[in-house]
Parts: sequence; C-alpha cells; structure tokens
Amino acid sequence: MLFDFIQLIRNENMKIYTRVRTWIMLGILVGLVLAIGIIALTMGESPNNWTMMQTESMILFMLVTIFTVVISAESVAGEFTAGTIKLLLIRPWSRSKILLSKYISLLLFALLQAAVLFVFTFAVNAILFGYDGSQAVTQQVLGVNRDIPPLALMLLEYICQIVNLIIVVTMSFMISTVFRSGGLAIGLSLFLLLGGSMITGLLSMLNKAWVDYILFLHMDLTPYISSPTMDIREGVSVSLGFSLGVLAVYYIVFIAVTWYVFKKRDVAA
Amino acid sequence: MDRPIPNGSVVQLKNVTKRIGKRTIIDNLSLDLPEAEVFGFLGPNGSGKTTTIRMMVGLMALTDGDVIIRGHSIRTEYEKAIRHVGAIVENPEMYKYMSGYQNLLHFSRMIPGITRQRIDEVVDLVGLKGRINDKVRTYSLGMRQRLGVAQAIMHKPSLLILDEPTNGLDPAGIRELRDYLRKLAKNEGITVFVSSHLLSEMELMCDRVAIIQAGKLIDVQSVRQAGTANDASAVSTVVFEVDQEEGALQLLQGRFGVKRSEGGLTIEADRDTVAAVNAELVQQGIKVYSIRVLSKTLEDQFLEITGGESVV
Repeated sequence: MLFDFIQLIRNENMKIYTRVRTWIMLGILVGLVLAIGIIALTMGESPNNWTMMQTESMILFMLVTIFTVVISAESVAGEFTAGTIKLLLIRPWSRSKILLSKYISLLLFALLQAAVLFVFTFAVNAILFGYDGSQAVTQQVLGVNRDIPPLALMLLEYICQIVNLIIVVTMSFMISTVFRSGGLAIGLSLFLLLGGSMITGLLSMLNKAWVDYILFLHMDLTPYISSPTMDIREGVSVSLGFSLGVLAVYYIVFIAVTWYVFKKRDVAA
Repeated sequence: MDRPIPNGSVVQLKNVTKRIGKRTIIDNLSLDLPEAEVFGFLGPNGSGKTTTIRMMVGLMALTDGDVIIRGHSIRTEYEKAIRHVGAIVENPEMYKYMSGYQNLLHFSRMIPGITRQRIDEVVDLVGLKGRINDKVRTYSLGMRQRLGVAQAIMHKPSLLILDEPTNGLDPAGIRELRDYLRKLAKNEGITVFVSSHLLSEMELMCDRVAIIQAGKLIDVQSVRQAGTANDASAVSTVVFEVDQEEGALQLLQGRFGVKRSEGGLTIEADRDTVAAVNAELVQQGIKVYSIRVLSKTLEDQFLEITGGESVV
C-alpha cells in the first residue's frame, strides 16, 4: 500500500523533472551563486565567506520560492488546463491521495532547491573567500548575539526560510486547486511574497488587537534567532510559540480548503 | 473479491440522475450493459452523453441513483469499481511534454500488476512501437487516440468506455478502431461502451445502441436485427426501376402493397416474391433496370424515435 503510494509520488516527480524548465531553474540558481561570488572576487573585495553566504541565501531564497510557486501553480491547474486530470483521476486511487502525492512532490522540490542553495552558497564562498568556522564570526561579523558557530546560524536561517516557503507554496497550491488557474496562483503568491513586508509595515502601525493574527506578520521567523520575542506593533511583542500557532492555523485552513474543493469538484470540460 | 455478475450485466446504471441547480441534465437513466458487447450510446450534441460517462467514471458526482460496475458501487466503493474500467473521456489528452512510453508508465504505476512486458504488449497492439519514445507533443491526433486506447486497455478492464472515439480520425483509422473494438469484445469478453452522435458509425460498430435525448433514455435497439436480413422469409421494402411505370403499376395493382415512389415502384416482399415479380414484369415486356432493397437505416429509426429534433 505504502509502496503503491510511493509510485504516485514517483509519477509526480517524473512530471516535474522531465520538463526542461525545472533544470533551467536549478541551473539559474547554481549559476547565480557562482556569478555573484566571481563578480565579488574580480572586484578585489575580500568579504567573509559567511557574510556572502548569508546575503546570497537571502536574495536567492526569493528565487527558490518563485520557482516552487511556478511549479506548484501548474501542478493542479495545469492538469485541468491540459485535460489530463480526467485520465489521472479515473484510477483506483482516491482523489485525496492523488492530491497528496502532488503536494509531497512539491515539498520535495522545494527542499531540493533549498539544499542545492545551501550546499552551493556554502561551498562556493568557502572556496572563493576562505573558510572561517570560529564561533566569534557569529557575533563579530554577522552581528547575531548567540553562542553558536556560523554554520549552525545558517541552518537556523534556512529553517526559517523553509517555513516561509512552505506557507507560500501551500497557498499557491490552494489557489491553483480552487481556481484552476496557474496564472492567478503565481500572481497572488508573488504578491504575498513581495508585498508581504510592505503590508507588514503598514499593519504594524495599526494599533488593533486583530492585527496580531495577520499571516504576514508571522511569515518571517528570523527575528526569533537572536531574540525570544518579536515586536509586531507598538508595544506588543509575541513569542515564537504564538507565531507558530498563527502559522499553523493558516496552514490547516489552506490544506483543508484545498482538499475539500479537490474532492468535491465535478470535473467538467 | 468481485461479486458475481447479476443477470450477466457488467455495468448497471440505476436511475442515474444529475441536476445542476434547477436543471435536470440526466433524468432517471437506467441501463444494463451486458458482457462482451459493443454498446453504443447515441444522442444529439448536448443530450447528456458525456455527462453520463463522466458520472460512470466518477469524474462527476451523481445527484441520485447509482452506477454498479462488477458489483461495486461507484459512489461508495470507487476504488474497487474503477479498477475494472478503462476509459477515454472526450479527447485523449496525455502529458505532451513526456514521451508516449512515459505516459503509459505513469498510468501503469497507478494500477498494481502491470508489468513492463504488458506495456510493450499494448504498444505493439496499437501499433505505436516506432514512435513510443517520442514526445506526445509530436504525435498526430490519430496517434494520440491510439495511445489513449493503449492506456485504457493496459490493465485489462472489463469495461472500456470511449467517448466519441472516432473524432478526428481518418476513414482508415475509424475502420481500424472499429475492427479492433469488435475484436476486443469478441475475443477478450470486454464490454465496450462507445458514445457518438454519428449514426452510421454506430451501425457498423455496435451490437446494441441506447438512444438518449435531452437527458432521457429513449430506446435501446439491437442494431443487427433489422439491417442484415439474410433469411429468405424476411419481408423488406424493394424498389424496382422500370421503363414503363404505369404499365407495371397496373400489372401489380393491389398486390404486395405496390406504390409509386422516387426512382420507381416499391413493393413489400420476401426474396422469392421479388424474383417472381421480376419474372412477371419481364414476361410482360417491361424492362427492369434495377432492383434494390430499401433497408431502414438506424438513422431513419433514430430520427423516427427522436421525432427528427436534434436541438435539445
């Protein structure tokens, strides 16, 4: 049974990785890491390898999110547009499981990209700018007041980024399923990703209690790495547990809506 | 695992009803599909053929009624029921960015027990061997149709559902498909359910035809009973083309229901009588140019039954 389910994930993986665009995406990611490093080197700068890794990761994680959203938007909506959804659903599998196989393959793609980004930013910058693994770097160079080695700090930052990524991708998966429109899913998700910080700034100025429960304010968890609490508006700070709770509620709602709609929908022309 | 088939039907549609809002799209449709038959589903555009098929394969929910496939309800035991079904719903849409083989591999992974040999076997069967590793994007419509058939028969289903399968096929392709479907029904005992709005096609392909109009089942007819009347005693309508219609009409006056029609005189007679009438006409010096049997086509029957309306 489990083995059979793995076959479904293999199918979804095949749909992602036989397409040239997937490899172009991964190529762009790796290419940019190399390019940024080489440009910095030719300009005669000699930055710390961790500063470079942190900056590149921050910028390129946005690209990872965009790429994953593009694939996720296509995942369900694309099957409807192409009409292949009909042949996919008339198999001895419940719709829930077919949807789950799609969702899992998306998360795997997201994790693969994060891993590629981590490995390449780490290795390329260590090779180009030398490796300094001492604990002092964390405080003196990266300015984070924690007694952990820089590699551990990077891992923590990646975990925060991955949480953010999963929320955005789950939302785009929902939009893709509910509206069967890949374009809408991509557009709205990018709005959330890029406009999120602006909206966060605006909302923070509102001194209302309901603002505390807005999704945007909790999507970036990196402040918790250096402090146990995060200020979200004038005089109000919340804990990591609170933020995770808010994220969990949104996540469950996204998942519930996605599955409900996919199960109930009549597949017409 | 599968329950015995009651009264020889592989599939039973029981009071299948679909309402969307206040409109009733399919109204209380009941139908039994027997084993090893090519069963046609005939109706004008918009009569509900595709909707019915979508409900049979679980793509659309039934408002009321049930579909039983090999003893399993499509509503409550979907996975067991659909296991016995192979289908192409409307166009054979495949993943264009994958090869034909990858498409088959994809669908084979979803049903346990399909080996690589079986995939090769069906590829051979539908004649795609030379192109199976090309991307589906490069296939012609006929090749996509054949790939569609391949994925539908790969798991040896008891019921094969094809929605308008001849759309976009050239005459040779249609003929090939027709022969192939008949062979599947006869040799493998598969029930084939084919929808179409083309009457002539159904006549050639099917053993029986269900006629649907505006969501209602109007009639189920056996195709082969009327058309191919080879036995000597069957009375059919025969047209005689003669040189002197007046003379012939007087000669046969009052016999065999003779009347004048387009292209000559028609009589109702069996085979021997036709020969006798011919001899009689010739003896009287009337030249007979041709004799032909007017077979009542399915089209006539169809138009008769549906009252000639094609608009719902």
